Amino acid sequence: MSKGRFISSLRKALTEVSYGAALHGQVSAVLKTRMYIEHMFILMILGDMLGFPILPPYYSLRLLPYAVPNVKAWKHRFYRERDFTDVIYG
Amino acid sequence: MVWGLRDIVLREGGPRMVIFAGKGGLGKTTSSAALAYAAALAKKKVLCFSTDPQASLSDIFERNIFGKGEVEVAPNLYVVEIDADAKVGAYIEEVKQRIKDMYKLEEIPPEIEAYIDSSVAEPAMYESATYDAMADYLARGDYDLYVFDMPPFGHGIRMLTMADVLTSWVEKLTEVREKAREYDEIASKLKGERLVKEDEILNELKQIRDKLTTFTDFMRERTKSAFFMVMTPEMMSVHDTERALEAFKSIGLSLAGIVLNKVLPRDFHSSPSPYISYRYRQQESVMRVIEEKFGDLVVAAIPMFPREPKGLDGLREVAKHLVDGVTKLW
Repeated sequence: MSKGRFISSLRKALTEVSYGAALHGQVSAVLKTRMYIEHMFILMILGDMLGFPILPPYYSLRLLPYAVPNVKAWKHRFYRERDFTDVIYG
Repeated sequence: MVWGLRDIVLREGGPRMVIFAGKGGLGKTTSSAALAYAAALAKKKVLCFSTDPQASLSDIFERNIFGKGEVEVAPNLYVVEIDADAKVGAYIEEVKQRIKDMYKLEEIPPEIEAYIDSSVAEPAMYESATYDAMADYLARGDYDLYVFDMPPFGHGIRMLTMADVLTSWVEKLTEVREKAREYDEIASKLKGERLVKEDEILNELKQIRDKLTTFTDFMRERTKSAFFMVMTPEMMSVHDTERALEAFKSIGLSLAGIVLNKVLPRDFHSSPSPYISYRYRQQESVMRVIEEKFGDLVVAAIPMFPREPKGLDGLREVAKHLVDGVTKLW
């Protein structure tokens, strides 16, 4: 391995370690909140899929194609049984 | 006092959108068609659009225009009789195709397909499709004047209020979407990456919102739109118009005027037929109530014709009374 490549790999490794140590937790929390928002959005457009009446679905259908990849996870999260650990771990 | 719709609608700087509302069978479609024809004769490019599922523009113009899009029936005069069933069907197919294209799928996931198919059964879908077509034509702005023939009263009001409800719903969705976008940006910054992906949902929402607000802006702006109620000189129609005025007021719309249709001519008073003279006397008593309750709101009167007004000649005859105010009342 050349000296240049070694330094580059070392820099990358150090960046990843420092990211993991300092920021990974924060990024995960942000993405988790982002997921909740996404699920709320899907609820607003596809609520009637779960029995919540919503507005006439005409414009929801225009947005439906974008929500397709997340529908499964959204329904799963919605139907999931909850216990006290959810209060602690969210 | 203004008499006839010419001074209200066809004057310089007049409204660009005219809506006729009222109970079924009183002459909304005939009034819409006659006004549209008069406007076309006055060199305006006009779109006459019937939102009534039982519309009869095809009968009036004596041409099959149902579901055929914009049809030019006379120079400058275009008419649309929407086939809401076909529009919803095509829309559903478009949504399905989009899902297949976006995710390179042969088949749509069964639960998604079942949801899409079940939404077709929703009665409001057809109203929404009609409303969307109205808003679409208006947003495109190809015409000098848009004349909308609304469905019978209750549905008509619902269709008008739908604009407000949908606009606030779309605004809420946009808010949530923007929040999601903020979180995407934070996550990207923390990861030291650049957020290059555009949120296509936000773009769609923006397009929907622009379309809806064009319509609501027209509706709210008195200089841009004019609402007319069509009624007949009968007590049932008087009560209905009173209720409609209340409903209009409650959604913040003011009426440009009332068109009194099917007015029996004065010479019926001395008709040898007791049936006809009795009907005329009854009309006289209702006229007094109309004058007392609505007074100056009545802006035109169309007589009861010996035969149904049809074709461009028939409409020209109606327009003489509706637009030029040939029949005077009080």
